[in-house]
Amino acid sequence: MTKQGFVIALGAVFVGLLIVGASPLFVVDVTQTAIVVQLGKPIRTVTEPGLYLKMPFVQDVTYFDKRLLDYDSDAQDVITEDKKTLLLDNFAKWRITDPLKVYQNFQSQRGALQRLHDIIYSELRVELGRHDLLEIVSTARAELMKVVTQRSNEKASAYGIEIQDVRIKRADLPQENEKTVFQRMQAEREQQAKQYRAEGAEEAQKIRSEAEKDKEILLAQAYKESEENRGTGDAKAFRIYADAYRQDQKFFDFTRSMEAYKRSFDDKSTVVMSPDSEFFHYLKQR
Amino acid sequence: MVWDPKDPWSKRSDPLEDALRQARTQFQAILPSGGLRNILLVGLLIFLVWQSAFIVGPDEEGVVKRFGIPVRTLGPGPHMKIPLLETVLQPKVAKLHRVEIGFRTDRQNRQQMISQEALMLTGDMNILAIEFIVQYKIKASADYLFNVAEIHDTIGKAAEASMREVIGKSKIDEALTTGKAQIQQDTQDLLQKILDQYHTGVQVAAVQLQDVDPPEAVAAAFKDVTNAKEDREKLINQAIGYRNDILPKAKGEAAQIVNQAKGYSQARVNRALGETNRFLATLKEYNQAKDIISKRIYIETMEEIMPKMEKIIIDGKAGERLLPYLPLDRPSKKQTPPAEGSKS
Repeated sequence: MTKQGFVIALGAVFVGLLIVGASPLFVVDVTQTAIVVQLGKPIRTVTEPGLYLKMPFVQDVTYFDKRLLDYDSDAQDVITEDKKTLLLDNFAKWRITDPLKVYQNFQSQRGALQRLHDIIYSELRVELGRHDLLEIVSTARAELMKVVTQRSNEKASAYGIEIQDVRIKRADLPQENEKTVFQRMQAEREQQAKQYRAEGAEEAQKIRSEAEKDKEILLAQAYKESEENRGTGDAKAFRIYADAYRQDQKFFDFTRSMEAYKRSFDDKSTVVMSPDSEFFHYLKQR
Repeated sequence: MVWDPKDPWSKRSDPLEDALRQARTQFQAILPSGGLRNILLVGLLIFLVWQSAFIVGPDEEGVVKRFGIPVRTLGPGPHMKIPLLETVLQPKVAKLHRVEIGFRTDRQNRQQMISQEALMLTGDMNILAIEFIVQYKIKASADYLFNVAEIHDTIGKAAEASMREVIGKSKIDEALTTGKAQIQQDTQDLLQKILDQYHTGVQVAAVQLQDVDPPEAVAAAFKDVTNAKEDREKLINQAIGYRNDILPKAKGEAAQIVNQAKGYSQARVNRALGETNRFLATLKEYNQAKDIISKRIYIETMEEIMPKMEKIIIDGKAGERLLPYLPLDRPSKKQTPPAEGSKS
């Protein structure tokens, strides 16, 4: 066989192997690790990416993800320390640190998830049962997640898994409780609204009554002032009259009477007179 | 360039080029000569160019992987790669990525709330519907591409968890009103912390609250609180209006009362002065000739009043016997006083 013929034959074998899926080459991506299994027995772990050789037919490659993986459970009911039910939805971030262990324990990444679920589920329940509702939702949330992460990780490490973070996404009340909360919220707001309106009415009444009070005071003040003014006017007038009339009492009586007559009598008055009256004095003398 | 020493081709100076050259000579050897050969060569050339040229967009970075190993990072522009052996990833590093949480915007730009994501418990055990967005940039493309599986999903989940943790520490009124900026900042800080812990290579640019609303079931009650606040202001303003109406009127009325009194008083004095001055003036003359003046005044007065009146003259003696007839049926205003003996 010539050299050229040899190369052609080798190429044909290579292509043939590729076609039946038994390439001697395999690629490990930067996001992967791989385990080379020879007749069911793992013989090599590849953690660095690159192009590798294996024996076709005899050796098989199983890949694992090297990246941080996601575990998301369905929302579940948990009972808190104060015997309340909480609908809890959590997720976890984990990675395969030892693909060989994972392979031996679970054969695949999917298999590992089930174990992960068991660990996190139980650790969460234990920890959540130690806290009341308010602590879980509010005050102890961060600390609680840290504790669950740590405990779960301790358990998981035996399986070649690292749990990096267990995080509570949702901690909600079940629907029945939600209704009660809505009712309470509604009642709270209604009460607030009532208070605002009552405050408005109160303030308004204060302003009105104050204004009315001011008005009364103002008018009374004016009345007082006016009476005082009238009084001084009257007094002054009286003094003026007295000072003047005191000078001749008799003349005052006379002129004032005359004045009064002028004002008193009109065309509706009737006077009965005697011929002896002074008015007729000269009439009789004639 | 990382190159596995186990690789059999590593002994050569540039194994890929050598391999290609070798392949070419071998192809030339196998291929038929003439026109068919040329057509096949041209076809192969087109295939190779199509496989090797690529363009990195202006907002992208090109990360080239050869056999799963990232070997080079490229800026925007046209680039070449080795066909079949190299692959390119093109993350959008300059773009501001956006994640919606609590709602989704559809193609018609309508926003639909996703209540499962949006409803959150506050620290005082109330429920709020919160819609927000997270904006982020890729700060380390290698971390972004190779460290975390399902990275978009991860960012969304971490964002929701962060927001819920922050809201869980807030009070409802705070979240609805003044606390929003703080909630945004706290959530952004917490989210960045989580994403750094995961080595996502992501920089959170902003966490922005879109809508923070009470849930639909209680929305009406919350609106009514706002209305009630308005009502309160309205009632107060109406009262102030009332005050502003009656007080000036009262001041006017008061001024009127005082002025009337002042007028009265002044008039009273003036009238007194007038009357007394007249009296004093006549008194002076009267003192000169008392009898004459008084008679004169008397007669003048009589002259003035007599023509107006109805007069009945009865003799004194006859008067003793007769009952004087008085027209009592006449609607007289006053009993007429007797004018007799007016001068004493």
